[in-house]
Amino acid sequence: MRDLIDIWVGVQAGLFETLVSPVLYHFGLMAWYEPGYSAVEFVMLGVVQIAVIAIAMRFFERRWPLEKAGKDDKLVTVDRVYTMLNKLGVVPLAIFIITYPLVQEIELAVRTWGYMPPRLERMLPWLGDNALASFLVYFVLYDFAAYWLHRGQHAFGWWWALHSLHHSQRRMTVWTDDRNHVIDDLIVTLALVLFSQFVGVQPGEYVVILMVGRLVESWSHANVDMSFGWLGERLLVGPRFHRLHHALSTPAERHIQDHNFAPVFPIWDILFGTAIYDGKIRPTGVDNAAVDADNGRGWIVQQATVFGRFVRALMPRFRRRVSVP
Amino acid sequence: MNRLSIAALAFSLVVSGTAKADSVIVLNSDEASYSILSRSTRTEVARLPVGREPHHLIVSPDGKEVIIGSTATNELLSLDINTGERKRVVKDILDPYHLGFSPDGKWLVTAAYRLDHVDIYHSDGFRLAGRIFIDGLPSHIAFDAESKTVFVTLQQSGRLAAFDLATQALKWNMPIGNAPAGVVMLPDDKRLLVALTGEDRIAVVDPKDGSVKSSLQTGKGAHNFFPKGDGRHYFLSNRVEGTVSLIDTKDDPKVVGSVRIPGGPDCMDITPDGKELWVTQRFLRRVAIVDIDTLKVVAGIPVGKSPHGVFMMKSTATVTSGLPVRAASTAGSPR
Ligand SMILES: [Zn+2]
Repeated sequence: MRDLIDIWVGVQAGLFETLVSPVLYHFGLMAWYEPGYSAVEFVMLGVVQIAVIAIAMRFFERRWPLEKAGKDDKLVTVDRVYTMLNKLGVVPLAIFIITYPLVQEIELAVRTWGYMPPRLERMLPWLGDNALASFLVYFVLYDFAAYWLHRGQHAFGWWWALHSLHHSQRRMTVWTDDRNHVIDDLIVTLALVLFSQFVGVQPGEYVVILMVGRLVESWSHANVDMSFGWLGERLLVGPRFHRLHHALSTPAERHIQDHNFAPVFPIWDILFGTAIYDGKIRPTGVDNAAVDADNGRGWIVQQATVFGRFVRALMPRFRRRVSVP
Repeated sequence: MNRLSIAALAFSLVVSGTAKADSVIVLNSDEASYSILSRSTRTEVARLPVGREPHHLIVSPDGKEVIIGSTATNELLSLDINTGERKRVVKDILDPYHLGFSPDGKWLVTAAYRLDHVDIYHSDGFRLAGRIFIDGLPSHIAFDAESKTVFVTLQQSGRLAAFDLATQALKWNMPIGNAPAGVVMLPDDKRLLVALTGEDRIAVVDPKDGSVKSSLQTGKGAHNFFPKGDGRHYFLSNRVEGTVSLIDTKDDPKVVGSVRIPGGPDCMDITPDGKELWVTQRFLRRVAIVDIDTLKVVAGIPVGKSPHGVFMMKSTATVTSGLPVRAASTAGSPR
């Protein structure tokens, strides 16, 4: 194991010292030295995730596809673009640059008021003494926050205008998870980072939570009819469970997408009464011609048109003027 | 954990408890733990949880405790300097990134790196005497010999600030150079050395008014000092270049030696016999051991993520202060 760590940090340090460190040093950005090093790891983890998706997950999709190859295959291309931009750090870097000063300001303001965020270890001292239990508790809490954010994405009109891009994909695959509007990514990231700081997730843990969490989420979008078994699919979100959340609504099932929200741990849907385990296979997508029109568009056009959708949802007056030519 | 590894772990604890050599503590700043290393076997004996984002550690004025600043939990955690046993937790010390006691032991000063303030506490009872908000990432601190003044480097604004300890008033705040970090007062009490991490040199500063008297080229990313112990020579880590320089401070400071330490070398400590320099390699998750006579790296020990502060214990730590959750490398580490 240690050999693996040495290889990993050797590559990380090598990339950092040849590509990133000279730039930071040259432009007097030494305050970004440690974050810069972490960013290299983020990109390396992204490469690993892409490899796992492209090799391991795609194996199952090829071997046991749920929806057979057909005319919609080309709709997957744009999702690959999303995955590359996110996993290789292009979108996350932009988001980091915007959110980091904001997060610092918020934390500074909070502490200046004399308010101390309640760290978990203070309430549960035993947590500080068990690294694995501590990690799992933070992971579950993180997922709890992500569950409620996801419910927000479906509950508010302006937020759904953004999130509907994620749902508009009719051809769901292991590449679909990263298909989100950048503003949606920004809001969710900001909320989750603040939440993590608030409860005290450690940087080292945050990286692992992201890595494991995002892999589970990529797999849950896979084009296969699989689950982790009766108990397993109640412990961990799998493709069968999550596909129902992406199901195309029908007159009989108007609100089918308001179920199975959980990103990683289905416990939240079970607890809050939003879980459905019926094993039925349904087509996916959004029953709205304007949203369905996302399909077939490229990354830039999707980002632009969904931004328009977002603005119109935010400002109803603007919407009327635009929609009545 | 299976039964075999529990047995192996227990065995390693017994072995470590009876080992002759002394222990070394390393703070793994990115994973909320500290490693206990054995000097004789040059291995990691145990990895124990500690607060969150621990960066630096210091000795208490009575010399009985090692005090660890846990930045994200706003706490100080102390260990018995002889046994390594956990002694106490001091709460409500905000973001104690870098910290130090004044030479007379009366004051504790902390630099809240991320929250942009310097806090001055009465050591007795850790009562806050003053909190000074100051722009630009306060990063490292040093005192004058009389315990009247504390000096703080401001990494972002490129300045060095001096505060009167008794009144907590700002004495001066002077531009020094790009990204100043480590700062030490030389034994003559007349010169401060300031490492400029954004440059390849250190500045020699007059503690009276903060004026830069001279500078000395060392290596890119000059970062932190550690005294060799002869009152004259200082080691300096150069993080960007990946070297440690040996500086002679008699008369005008000059570089008299250098050793390559890759992976962003940071904090240092010296073995009690004065023969070895131990350096944390932040990026490589290792500690490098340098033979001081020959200035050659003689060994390295794997530790946790982003190792920062390092400290030589007076004797061997008994690892009974908690279950070593991420256990010794000798006991089949799960990592
Ligand atoms: Zn959704």
